[in-house]
Amino acid sequence: MTDVLGSDPIDGAAKEVAAARGRHLVLGEIVTLYALSVLVALFLSGLLVSLTGGSARDVFSALLDGSILRPGRWGLTLGSAAPMLLVALGTIINSKAGLVNIGQEGQLLIGAAFAAFVGTRLGGETTGSVAGFAVLLTLLLAGGLGGALWAAIAGALRFWRGVPEVLSTLLMVTIAANAVGYGLKKDWLLLAPAEGRSNRNQVSEQLADAVRVKRITVFGNEFPLTVLLAIALAVVVTFALSRTVPGFRLRMLGQNAKTAQRAGVDSTRYGMAAMALSGAFAGLAGGIMLAGGDFGNYQLVPGFSVSIGWTGLLVALVAREKASAAVLVAFLFAALRTGSGFLAATGVERKITGVVQALLVLALLIPPAVLYIRQRRRALNASKERI
Amino acid sequence: MVEPGTASGAPSGSATSNAGPTVGSTEGSILTTNQWRDDPPAVEVVGITKRYGQVSACDSVDLVFHRGQIHGVLGENGAGKSTLMKILIGLVVPDAGQVIIDGKPSVITDPIDAAEKGIGMVHQHFSVVNALTVWENVALGDQMRLNPEAIRDEIGDLSRHYGLDIEPNAVVGTLTAGLRQRVEIIKCLRRSPRTVILDEPTSVLSPGESEILFEGLRRAVEDEGMAIALVSHKLDEILGATDLVTIMRRGKVVAHQKTSDSDAAGLARAMVGRPVALRSEREVPSSETDSPKRRPTKPKQEHASLEIDSVHANGDDGRVLLDGLDLKVYRGEIVGLAGVEGNGQRPLADLLSSLMSLASGSVRVDGKPIACGRAGAMAKAGISVIPEDRHDSGCVLEMSVAENLFLADPNLVARRGILDHRKMTYRAERLIERFAISCEGPDAPMWSLSGGNQQRVVLAREMAHHPRVLVAAQPTRGLDVGAIEYMSEQLRQAAAAGVAVLLISTELDEILDLASRLVVLSKGRIVGEMSREAVDIERLGLMMGGAVP
Ligand SMILES: Nc1ncnc2c1ncn2[C@@H]1O[C@H](COP(=O)(O)OP(=O)(O)OP(=O)(O)O)[C@@H](O)[C@H]1O
Ligand SMILES: [Mg+2]
Repeated sequence: MTDVLGSDPIDGAAKEVAAARGRHLVLGEIVTLYALSVLVALFLSGLLVSLTGGSARDVFSALLDGSILRPGRWGLTLGSAAPMLLVALGTIINSKAGLVNIGQEGQLLIGAAFAAFVGTRLGGETTGSVAGFAVLLTLLLAGGLGGALWAAIAGALRFWRGVPEVLSTLLMVTIAANAVGYGLKKDWLLLAPAEGRSNRNQVSEQLADAVRVKRITVFGNEFPLTVLLAIALAVVVTFALSRTVPGFRLRMLGQNAKTAQRAGVDSTRYGMAAMALSGAFAGLAGGIMLAGGDFGNYQLVPGFSVSIGWTGLLVALVAREKASAAVLVAFLFAALRTGSGFLAATGVERKITGVVQALLVLALLIPPAVLYIRQRRRALNASKERI
Repeated sequence: MVEPGTASGAPSGSATSNAGPTVGSTEGSILTTNQWRDDPPAVEVVGITKRYGQVSACDSVDLVFHRGQIHGVLGENGAGKSTLMKILIGLVVPDAGQVIIDGKPSVITDPIDAAEKGIGMVHQHFSVVNALTVWENVALGDQMRLNPEAIRDEIGDLSRHYGLDIEPNAVVGTLTAGLRQRVEIIKCLRRSPRTVILDEPTSVLSPGESEILFEGLRRAVEDEGMAIALVSHKLDEILGATDLVTIMRRGKVVAHQKTSDSDAAGLARAMVGRPVALRSEREVPSSETDSPKRRPTKPKQEHASLEIDSVHANGDDGRVLLDGLDLKVYRGEIVGLAGVEGNGQRPLADLLSSLMSLASGSVRVDGKPIACGRAGAMAKAGISVIPEDRHDSGCVLEMSVAENLFLADPNLVARRGILDHRKMTYRAERLIERFAISCEGPDAPMWSLSGGNQQRVVLAREMAHHPRVLVAAQPTRGLDVGAIEYMSEQLRQAAAAGVAVLLISTELDEILDLASRLVVLSKGRIVGEMSREAVDIERLGLMMGGAVP
């Protein structure tokens, strides 16, 4: 099969085009295609808004205002992009190993719960900045650990029981939500002490000031330092996958498991590691959401994960397993999220951003295929003309 | 569709058709009138050019395939044969040139279009789905509702007509390579193409199987006016089965002649551009005529590098794969493992590739027991394997050539766990040069290489890193004559340097040429042994057939 089409006919085609027509021409074509398809997606979104009685113009300016233009907004967008990026990085790792983990939403929630537990138990009375920082580090690690364990369950089911990880990771999202819901009912787990919380609220205690992530302000935009952590991790992941021996072996496993086995890559060991790492990234995302301050009030509440896990999955999909692209896509999707905060004034449902996001996903996935088809058609037409 | 039984109206008007009862054919009208003889050429290509970066895979190729003829296409690895054929089937669009089908200039947009225009192809590498059964594979791509019964009947008819016996309900993954190839061929013939392209169809077939296939094809050619393009590296096959032969080198047609005017040495010279020592020429399987220089010197059996001890293994479905196999390979010898395909060759190679664990028995290298089935255990102990199916466990198509050269030991080109790209490129370049791998460079993706060049990458990797034991399973599959010569020399040198070489091959010629000792495999166990000097072909045949004398 592969001999026939090449492993990735689209990339292959892009290279062929590049060879035949000069790099800058191809680059131009790619950029044009992306711009066009994004424009079409935006146009369709606008159309939808108009059809439902809103003003497309208002909606777009509200989205722009809410995500970057108004004072302080792009800082907020960065803050939301960070956990999405982390989730996407984890997804890239398991995809490279040939595993499909789609339960990041649950792993993220478990990570947040672990982080909340550790952060409130250890950091309850902490005031000193050194001790606070130590607790913060511990709670972030706990978040990663929680996500890793949750994903590792699915991994274990896959490697020792043959349960497809697509199913188990997905189903475990629901279990995670219920488990955290349970924890939020028991004060020996996550529930805050009765004093200082209205009776029926199921929330955890707030993190003490000293154990929160430090927020910095740049040009009037405030965001948590964990944004830098996420970007640094994107660089680390890219490097590790492409340039280190374990990364090399992980890719080998994902692309040809038999060859990998022969070459000494134990599919169980590397597969479990990939699953756990992927979960750890999602769990860490949960941890930084809790301690970062952009998501709620430094406390765990039911439904804390607010679909960041799902969105991160989409980010990885659109970025086509490239960490560098994931950075940009995460920012874009985060912008939609923060921008939607300004929609109330336009009288349009916030949910419209979900539609815009879906259209954008399509818009970003389509151009490579179109490029391939266009180049083939061009060649075929040239052949026809020769007749 | 082919309907055996309707052929009672024998080929009366056809002067050239074989005498004797013909098994079948398409509609009687074609049979009796033979109108195809006056038809324009089935396929004609004019000035076809296809470039990949700096490489001209095809360079103004002119070629004509006539009805009623089998047309051989020969060429070195990477000469552009597969590319040309992929153009005819619509998988590759040429940069320049024309394809003329039945006298009409045509553009072939994709394989479905090609099928509608009467062109079918059997690819160099398998494109069957292992998890499906034979009939399901054959029916893949059918548009209407499936009628399993009818498809199975069709398969039965086709296999009788062309002598390609196959069980329609077998799961393809459990079949030997030769049988899988049959599935491919039947899949192609079922669309009743008028032009059939066969890209190295026999590299996985035994000589007997190939003969049967060519008999069937010859019938189709003579009775139905089929045109066949046959790509092959086997010169005797080209000489025996074709009417015309075209030789390509570096994308260009360099010779074009009648097969009856050709001989093996001449073809080889035209192909490679220099004289080649052909195995078929020097090989006479009797001890008197062996030149003493060629005859493998019998090494002393002092130190057993590889010891396989009463090994039993079963498949997932409980089938017995290895049944008490005992085998010792000594330092410096080449042991040829002869046998009919499907008697345990693949499981044995899998075992030595750490791909299979055992029910009982042991494997030892230099006396040390190896944990069978543990990832990389065999490789670590110094066993190199050239697997019979390079795409299955030999290489990673998505990775670069350089990466493929260091799959098992990336640490050779890494410092503290970090790959040193410069070093990797440098060492890869040297291997590319040494093994004459034609590719765009170390960073070229593996899938962009021609089949034979992929095989060379596997060879280079397995031979370059100083193994103690070298297992070569059908190592010449897909190699051109020059490369076979080179590889044989490499195997001999490896043995001379003290490597224990186990040559698993279904081609007796290959084994007789290289091995100093022969063992025969049948039903998962070794049933006999003889030294190269005392080879008795008849006894060997009996043993391979399972009748232990
Ligand atoms: N998709 C591709 N991208 C880049 N180069 C390619 C591609 N396909 C083929 N080539 C190059 O074109 C040349 C011809 O390849 P082709 O597969 O046609 O050779 P071949 O004659 O079939 O050889 P073999 O006997 O080894 O099968 C090779 O050098 C190969 O590397
Ligand atoms: Mg080829």
